[in-house]
Amino acid sequence: MDRQKVTLRFTLISALIGFMIAVQFQTVTEPKVRDTRDIWQLREALLKEKEMQYQLLTEIRSYEEKLSAYESKRKQSKEQALKDTYLELKQETGLTEVKGPGVTLEIEPVIEDIKLGYTPTSTVPPELLKRLVNELNMYQAESISIDGQRIINTTVIRDINTETKIDGHTIKDLPIEIKVIVKDFATAEKLYNRMNVSKAKDEFFTESLRLSVTKPSTEITVPAYENPIRIRYMESVKEGGGS
Amino acid sequence: MWLPVVGLIAGIVLGLLTEIRIPDEYSNYLSIAVLAAFDTLFGGIRAYLQNIYDEKVFVSGFFFNIILAASLAFLGVHLGVDLYLAAVFAFGVRLFQNIAVIRRILLTKWSTNKEKLEKS
Repeated sequence: MDRQKVTLRFTLISALIGFMIAVQFQTVTEPKVRDTRDIWQLREALLKEKEMQYQLLTEIRSYEEKLSAYESKRKQSKEQALKDTYLELKQETGLTEVKGPGVTLEIEPVIEDIKLGYTPTSTVPPELLKRLVNELNMYQAESISIDGQRIINTTVIRDINTETKIDGHTIKDLPIEIKVIVKDFATAEKLYNRMNVSKAKDEFFTESLRLSVTKPSTEITVPAYENPIRIRYMESVKEGGGS
Repeated sequence: MWLPVVGLIAGIVLGLLTEIRIPDEYSNYLSIAVLAAFDTLFGGIRAYLQNIYDEKVFVSGFFFNIILAASLAFLGVHLGVDLYLAAVFAFGVRLFQNIAVIRRILLTKWSTNKEKLEKS
């Protein structure tokens, strides 16, 4: 047996043991300075800490008061009112993402109708979509998106070179999803029932498309309108009203 | 054979200098690991003196004993029984036995050496 090798092994192992002992020793003797205060000294210390706590609490209270004063001032200011109005208008025009109760409609090609050598329609006639949107609006729809495109007041749905376009977005891949958000869940249920018995289904079917309505859900997300809104025939009113 | 002692001291110094502290919950495991390591070390020394030392047995025994002891302690913590006491007992007994054997061997060696010296 190689004596040197054995010694090396023993040395390594004993170094490891030494390391472990040192770590253990340090862990056990964690508090280096022993607390030797008697009960009166402890009470004094406690009293000091309590005073400190009281002081801090009063400070916190004063800061909170200041904060609430500033907050109320800010709320009453003109700037906040303007901001609120701006946000409201933005929501109304459809420039923000909307979440709420509503239903999801799906348009898909009728698979049973597919014949050999005949490609199923991959687009939806714009007239149908327009009628559908009108119908949805009739039943108190608040926000609508078709295939991820938000429908706003100036949205156009039209046929350009046999492609159905919604504000420049082409509808190509069926099935597509139409998300509709309404005011509350009861309205959503009403909308669901009405859409189930509406004529729109038959109209879609004549174009070899199936319109299916999913059960109303409490949380549906309609994306924001992405393109910039062009205003051509509107001008801001000048101060003083001397138009 | 002074090198292992130097190693031990070096290990202690290193451990004190690095200031590593393990959480209180795990100090049990470390203590039992230290015990297991000691047991293996003395077992190795004894085997070396009896000329039955095997490097594989020594090194594997070192790690295996530590792991076994720690897992026994772990099991004990989870069963609510102080199972680590079993490991402490076993290692303690073996430690005493090993040290006793080492002492006897060294004594015999010493006395034979003395006799040889007296004869010559």
